[in-house]
Amino acid sequence: MANGFSGPVAQIVDNYLERLKKGLKGIPAKDQDELVKEITSHIYESFRADTEGDEVSRILRVLDKLGEPAAVISARMPEAMVTLGKKRKLPFLILAGVLIAFFGVPLGLGGLGAAIGLIIGLLALVVSFYVVAFSLILTGWLSAVFMIVRIFSPGFLDPWIDIYPLVSDPTFNTVIYIVGALLIAALGFGLLWLGSRLMRGVRFVFRFLFEKMRNWRKRAPVPTQ
Amino acid sequence: MENKITQLRKGILELAILGALSHGRHYGYSLVRTIAGGSDIDLTEGTIYPILGRLAKEGLVQSEWVESSQGPPRKYYTLTLKGERTFRVLEGEFRKLAAIVSNAQKGTAPDDRGEHLNVLDVAKESKNG
Repeated sequence: MANGFSGPVAQIVDNYLERLKKGLKGIPAKDQDELVKEITSHIYESFRADTEGDEVSRILRVLDKLGEPAAVISARMPEAMVTLGKKRKLPFLILAGVLIAFFGVPLGLGGLGAAIGLIIGLLALVVSFYVVAFSLILTGWLSAVFMIVRIFSPGFLDPWIDIYPLVSDPTFNTVIYIVGALLIAALGFGLLWLGSRLMRGVRFVFRFLFEKMRNWRKRAPVPTQ
Repeated sequence: MENKITQLRKGILELAILGALSHGRHYGYSLVRTIAGGSDIDLTEGTIYPILGRLAKEGLVQSEWVESSQGPPRKYYTLTLKGERTFRVLEGEFRKLAAIVSNAQKGTAPDDRGEHLNVLDVAKESKNG
């Protein structure tokens, strides 16, 4: 690659620019080119201004002052990638708006309908997931409480519930049921935890898709030089 | 702590960049030299590019490629009208904030030595910070 330098200096600069380009993957090609050209210019000007010592130590000093490629590109990475690191509760309404903004417009009215359908479907899935989790917790705790009460007053709720004797000793039998009930509650909590993980995953996938769509839309018009 | 320094720097650097551009157009390297003021201030030069990119996206600066008499073309940045307005507002705000900080440094602890005060509760140090 021609970067205006020669010899080992050119190699060092090339290596730096290659690492820079690697970090720029995923942003539009035109923006990549511009930033690489701009940094090349910076390196050139900085190298020209620094006249102390041999060329290699000059270029190393120049790149050291410029900083690692990560410093040059941090905020240029797609906004979503930057915010992904932060924990942010994204209300589903905003998600829906973004979905329509990015999918609805390029796909036309049909796409808008599909996007809305997708959101409603997802919402229903999420709601039913949490309903199941909460009913498991509720069932588990209530059963456990009933069973504990039955240890102290064995006749409690006898007219309404019929408890199948797993073992002959009634107290031990009750303890088995309490443990079972607590396990059900634990399963509910497990689902809640899984839910939060799943939501994070779903959010990540959506953000990723939006970025792809946005880049595609930016690239769509013929680039003008 | 590192994070706080980064945040503070970004904000101040943004203001400094707008300020330098309010006196005329600059390319990246000349901007760095202007801001550092000739001295060797510990400034990672590359950090100005993400900031310039963001300012361009916000419509506060605009850029154009200009042929250089020597070496590769330079990308010059100028303030837009919106950028000039924003700079004036931010600079005024910065002066107020700088006054607050210097006032705070001159400040003294409240004079309550005469009163007899018991410590009620010591706040625990937060883990996430």
